[in-house]
Amino acid sequence: MKSIQSIRRGERLTILILILFFLGMVLLVWRIVSQSDFYMSHSNNVTLGKVYDTNGDVLFDPDADAETYGSDYFLDIGNVIGDNSSQMTNTLVSENLESLQNYSLIFGATDSGEAAIYVTLNHTANQAVYNAFGSKDGTAIAYNYETGEILICVSKPSVNILDYSNVDSLEEGSLICKAFYGTVPGSTQKVATTAAALEEYGYDSLLEKSYNCSGTWTTKYNQSIVCHNSSGHGTQNIIQAFENSCNPFFAQLVQDMSLDNIIDTYTSMGIAVNNDEVTKMDIDGISSYTASVTLTDTSDFDTMWNCMGQSEALTSPCQMMVWESAIANGTGVVTEPYLIESITGVTGLTTYSAETSYGDSAIFSSTTAMNLREIMLQNGTDNYNSSIGYTVGVKSGTAQVESTDTENSLLVGFCIDDDLPIAFAVMIEDRVSGEVSTSDIVRTILQALDN
Amino acid sequence: MYKNHLSYAKCTFVVIMTHAIMILTALLRGNCDALEILLPLTVAVLGLDIVYAFVCRLFYKQMTYTSDFLLLLLLGLSVIFQSYFGSVGFATKHYITCIIALVMCQIGFLLTRNHAWIQSKKKYLYIILGILILSILLLTGSRSMWISIGSFSLQPSEFMKPVFILLCATSIREQHPKQKILCFYVSRETIALTIAFLIIALLQWWCRDLGSLPTFAAVYACGMFCRLCYPRAKLSKKSIIGICVVGVLVVIAALKFAPGYVQDRLSVDIWNQMEGDGYQQCKALIAIAEGGLFGKGPGNGTLYQVFAADTDIVFSTICEEWGFLVALLMIAILMSLMLLPMINKPRSYFHTTMILGVVAAMIIQMGLNIFGSCNLIPFTGVTIPFISAGGSSMMTSGFLIGMLKAGQSPVFRKRELKQEKVKKFAKKQADSSNTAKIPIRKPKKSTKRRGVTA
Repeated sequence: MKSIQSIRRGERLTILILILFFLGMVLLVWRIVSQSDFYMSHSNNVTLGKVYDTNGDVLFDPDADAETYGSDYFLDIGNVIGDNSSQMTNTLVSENLESLQNYSLIFGATDSGEAAIYVTLNHTANQAVYNAFGSKDGTAIAYNYETGEILICVSKPSVNILDYSNVDSLEEGSLICKAFYGTVPGSTQKVATTAAALEEYGYDSLLEKSYNCSGTWTTKYNQSIVCHNSSGHGTQNIIQAFENSCNPFFAQLVQDMSLDNIIDTYTSMGIAVNNDEVTKMDIDGISSYTASVTLTDTSDFDTMWNCMGQSEALTSPCQMMVWESAIANGTGVVTEPYLIESITGVTGLTTYSAETSYGDSAIFSSTTAMNLREIMLQNGTDNYNSSIGYTVGVKSGTAQVESTDTENSLLVGFCIDDDLPIAFAVMIEDRVSGEVSTSDIVRTILQALDN
Repeated sequence: MYKNHLSYAKCTFVVIMTHAIMILTALLRGNCDALEILLPLTVAVLGLDIVYAFVCRLFYKQMTYTSDFLLLLLLGLSVIFQSYFGSVGFATKHYITCIIALVMCQIGFLLTRNHAWIQSKKKYLYIILGILILSILLLTGSRSMWISIGSFSLQPSEFMKPVFILLCATSIREQHPKQKILCFYVSRETIALTIAFLIIALLQWWCRDLGSLPTFAAVYACGMFCRLCYPRAKLSKKSIIGICVVGVLVVIAALKFAPGYVQDRLSVDIWNQMEGDGYQQCKALIAIAEGGLFGKGPGNGTLYQVFAADTDIVFSTICEEWGFLVALLMIAILMSLMLLPMINKPRSYFHTTMILGVVAAMIIQMGLNIFGSCNLIPFTGVTIPFISAGGSSMMTSGFLIGMLKAGQSPVFRKRELKQEKVKKFAKKQADSSNTAKIPIRKPKKSTKRRGVTA
C-alpha cells in the first residue's frame, strides 16, 4: 500500500497545476463577463444607441446628418455630449461609449438595439443660453440644487459634430467644455473667503468688523492692493464689502484671519491648497477640475490675492456652481451634480437610474451656509433681482487672465424660487462694458428653465 | 473469456452525433450557401470517425481506451473549427496532421506501455534528446526553433517534450545508489536529469523561445516531486519549503535578468499599444466579446485575418465564431482527456510519473496559450494541444496522448453470461468439485463506470 500512498503524494504538484489552471479559467470567465463591454468599446463592429435629453430630443445620433437635424442642431452641446469620432475626450459620449453600445455578452454584437442614454439637459433651454452669448465666448452651467440634475451646460466656442472639415482651424477651446476646466475665479472666490471668515468669527462678530477702503491699501510688506473703485468705498461691514466686492476690505480681513483656519475651510470645500493634489470631480464619467490656491502668509499680497480669486487661484465653473448648492440648501452639504438620468440596455431594460446624492460631509457648518445665503441674497436684492427678474443670491467677479491679458466676467449664485431651485455659474470671456452681461445670461437661463 | 468493456457503438454514436451537429450548425448559422461546400468536410470527419471506430473494434480491440474516443472527438472538433476560419471550407492540411496524430497516439501507446522495455532503452532516450538538441543548434536558421524542409517547417523543440517526459519517468522508477556531493545525497540519475533540463533551458534561452520553458519546468518539477515522494514515507515540510524558496528565487532571478524582449512582453499595457505589441491580444479579446456566448456563426468571424489566428490565439477565434460556451466545452473535453488517466488506476509507478508529466505539460501549454491570448499573463507563442494548427505540435500531442493511454491499467471484465449458461456452468462446477475455481476479479469502485475502460 505504501507505493499507492507515494503515488498519491506524487500527484500533488500536478493537482496543484490543475487547480491553478481551473482557477485561471474561472478568472478568465469572470474577466470576460465583467469587461466585455470595455473590449467592445474598441471594436469597429458595434452599433451605438442615441442620447436623449429630458424632453426626448436627440442629443447624439451615430447616424446623424445635417439634412435630418439641421446643420446647427448639435452646436450648443457639441463639446459636452460630444460624439464617437474620438476627436474629443472627456465628453459624455466618449466616456460612456460602453453603455451606449448595442451589445450584450449573451447575444454578442447586434446590428440594432435599444441601448440609449437619457441625460438631464434641457436642449431647448441650452440652445437659448447658447444663442444668448451672441458673439461672446464663455461658459454657463446650471443645475437643480435639490436633485443634482445638470440642466444647462454651454461652452463657447463649440464644435459642430456634423462637420469636422475645419477641425484644424477651430478656435482654441472649441473641443472642451470650459465649465469643467479650471479658470481664474476672480471675486467669486470671495464667497469661499467669506465662508472661512464666518467659520472663524461667527456671523455677529464678523458683522461688527469694519475696514476702511480709500481706493488703495498697503500691506505690511509695502505692497499695494488696488480697489476697482479708485475713490474708495469708505468704511464698510462685510455685507457692504461683499456687495461692493471691495479688495482692500477683504485684504485686511484676510490679514486678520488665521492662515490655518482659512486653509481648513478651503480644504473642506475641496480646494487644493498649495501643493495638495487637485481632486477631480466625476460627473458620469466626465472629469471636472475642482479648485486650487496658493496660501503662504496672510499678511502677504499673493495670499490675499489668492483669497480674492486672482494670482494662482483656479476654480472650475462647475465647482463654483456646486458650492452654491451648499449655500442655497442652507445645510453646508453639496448636492452632487449628475448628467445621466437613466441608461437602457440593448434589450430596452433600464440598467441604470440616477439618484440624488450629497457630499460626504458638510463643506462648512449649516449656520455659515445660512448666513452666507443671507449675504448673497442681500446682494441679489440690492443689485441683481430687477435685471434678472427672479429672487437670486449671487456674487459677481472680474478675473484678470494673465496669459491672455483679458478680463473675464463671472457670476455665480442660486435662485430661491420654489419652482426654480437652480444654482448657476456663468463666465463671459473678454467682456467689455456694453456687451452682453452675465446677468443677461442668468436671466436667459432662468427664463428658459421656467417655461 | 474476458472482454474489454468499452461500448464501441455508444461511444462512436456520441462522437458522430457531435460532429454531425457541428457541421449542421455551419449550414444553419454559418457563412455557407450551398450544401456541396460542406461535403468534403462531412465525408472526411464522419468517415474518419467510422473508420477509426471499426479499426479499433475489429483489429485493436484489447487496446482501445476511452481516451481513443475522446481523442477522436477532439480531432474532429478541431478539423471542423479549423475548416471554418474565415470561410466555410475544408482544412486539408490540418486533417492530414490529425490523422498523423492518431497514428502517433498508437505509436506512443505501443512504445511506452511496457515499462521494463522502455527503461532498458533509457540511454537511447538521452541519445535522441542529444540528436534533437544538435539538430536545433545546427539545422535551424539563426537562433530559431524551426527547421525548414521545403514547404514544411518542423519544430524539433516540440519533439523534446515526450522524450524529456520519458526521461523523467525512467530516471525515477527505482531506488538508485546515492553519492555524496558537497553535502547532498543525490543519485546519478537525478544529476543527469537536471543537467538535461538545464541544457534544454539554456537552449531555449539562446533560441529566444522561452514560451515552452514553463512546460519543461513543470515536467521536471513534477518528475522531481514524484522522485522525492517515492523513497520516503513522507516528505518533510522543511524540504518542501526549501524547494519552494529556491523555486521562487529562480523565478525572480530569471525575471530580473531576462533579455529585453521578454521584459517588454511582461509589462505590456495592451490597450495603450493596440497597434503595437498588444495588437494580437486586443484583437483576440475584442473577438471574444463580439462573439458573445453563442458566437457569430461558423465562417463569419474576422479574427482569422490576424497573424497566428489558428495557433496562438485560436481560443479567441473559436470564441468569435462558435461562442464562448463552445470554447469552454472544448476545454472541458481536453481536460477530461487528461483527467481520466489520473483518476484511473495507473499501470505502475513509472506510468504514474509519466502521466503526471504529460498532464502537467499539456495543462501548462493550454494555460499559457489561453491566458496569454486573453492577457491574464504575458503572451507566448505556444499552442493548445490538438486545437491549434501545426504539424509538430499535433504529432507531439498525439504521442503524449498515447503515453496517457499507456499509463492506465487496462481492466477487463468477465463476459456476462446468460442465465442458462450460468446454470450450466454452476452444474459443471458442482460435477467436478475437485477442479480449481477460476478466480473472478470483482470490479472495484473506481472501475464500475459502464462503458469505460479504466
